Amino acid sequence: MNLPSIDLSTLPGLDTVTGLFGSLLDTSGQIYSDDSIVVLMVYVYEIIPPSGLL
Amino acid sequence: MIIHPDLRALRSDDAPQRHAQQTLHRAMAAWRARPDVEELTRDMARFAEGETLAGCPALAALFSASNSAGQRFVSGLIGHSARALGDAPLGHVPMRHFVDGCTSTLLLSRSGQVTLSLVALDGGELMSRPAPRSVSLGPHETWELILAGSARAELITCEPTGPRSAKLSRQAQALAPGTLLKRDGQRDARLLRSVAGTLVSLRLQRRRADAGPTREYNLADGALVHQAAGNPRDSRLELALALLGRMGRKDAAPLIAALAQSDASAALRWQALRECLALDTATGFAALGAVAAAAGDALAGPAGALRAQLLEAHPQLQILDRTQEFSSCPT
Repeated sequence: MNLPSIDLSTLPGLDTVTGLFGSLLDTSGQIYSDDSIVVLMVYVYEIIPPSGLL
Repeated sequence: MIIHPDLRALRSDDAPQRHAQQTLHRAMAAWRARPDVEELTRDMARFAEGETLAGCPALAALFSASNSAGQRFVSGLIGHSARALGDAPLGHVPMRHFVDGCTSTLLLSRSGQVTLSLVALDGGELMSRPAPRSVSLGPHETWELILAGSARAELITCEPTGPRSAKLSRQAQALAPGTLLKRDGQRDARLLRSVAGTLVSLRLQRRRADAGPTREYNLADGALVHQAAGNPRDSRLELALALLGRMGRKDAAPLIAALAQSDASAALRWQALRECLALDTATGFAALGAVAAAAGDALAGPAGALRAQLLEAHPQLQILDRTQEFSSCPT
């Protein structure tokens, strides 16, 4: 089947965009919740695929 | 520059620092092993599993206006850690903390989505900062007991009047030691107007996962000015989706399609649909069709519109359209 590839940038967002957790517009400094977070994301994947080890 | 001889000595030998830290760790472990603190820790776990505050007696006692258990609990902790610091002045109290010059927090206990923190707000620093222009409401419940200091605050109650607006009712409130505040974060917010000296409070907060986004409204007119994910998991998954998309991991498309059709937040599901369509046209288009056809799904409308738009832009997709119609036919 000959299907088109769709460019992500042509796909629209929703009417109300949702920012990342903890993002705020007003940075006047009063912090009311524990929304300030740091997430350490670790991705593990092989550099040499198994066939490269043969 | 004058450097204290004890600190100078650490440059060549860090053993005293490690020893001091061991002293602090032992001291805090001893505090956590106290029967009353252990009981509190068990209550924190029950509360995180959804129990009511009244069903967690040790925790509820701290947030009762009729007794001074909260005050005694914090005094006990501060006395204990101050004595440990007296023995090891170069040590560091091993609890998570945050300081920005205005707000200081110390995380006393945590279980799942529940945190118990000691919070101090510096009134002078607060006054030097610009007055808040908006108020933020999110999916969490907060209990707060004022321990020391006094403040003028404003309680704000929010009633949404549409997808991008809310009616904000504002009510002045004086805060003093013993004041107990309970807020449903999606409806109530508190803004501090002025603080005399330092305001110290004990704060219990329970985040409600999958209960909608955090919304920020303009104080002047109640217009929605910003919206953010209500829990860190959504944002973590969104970042992971973006990464898999940029890596071109087509093998992840079925998982992403499943996420798009799960009960996750609308924002995350929409991102999943977009990434899935870009990664693997057939899998993404099938997921888009399923969401568009789901009765009562908040994304059915936007998904239907996008599907029609894609069919118009890429007539080749009609072959998938016919396949889907065929596969969904009961005969």
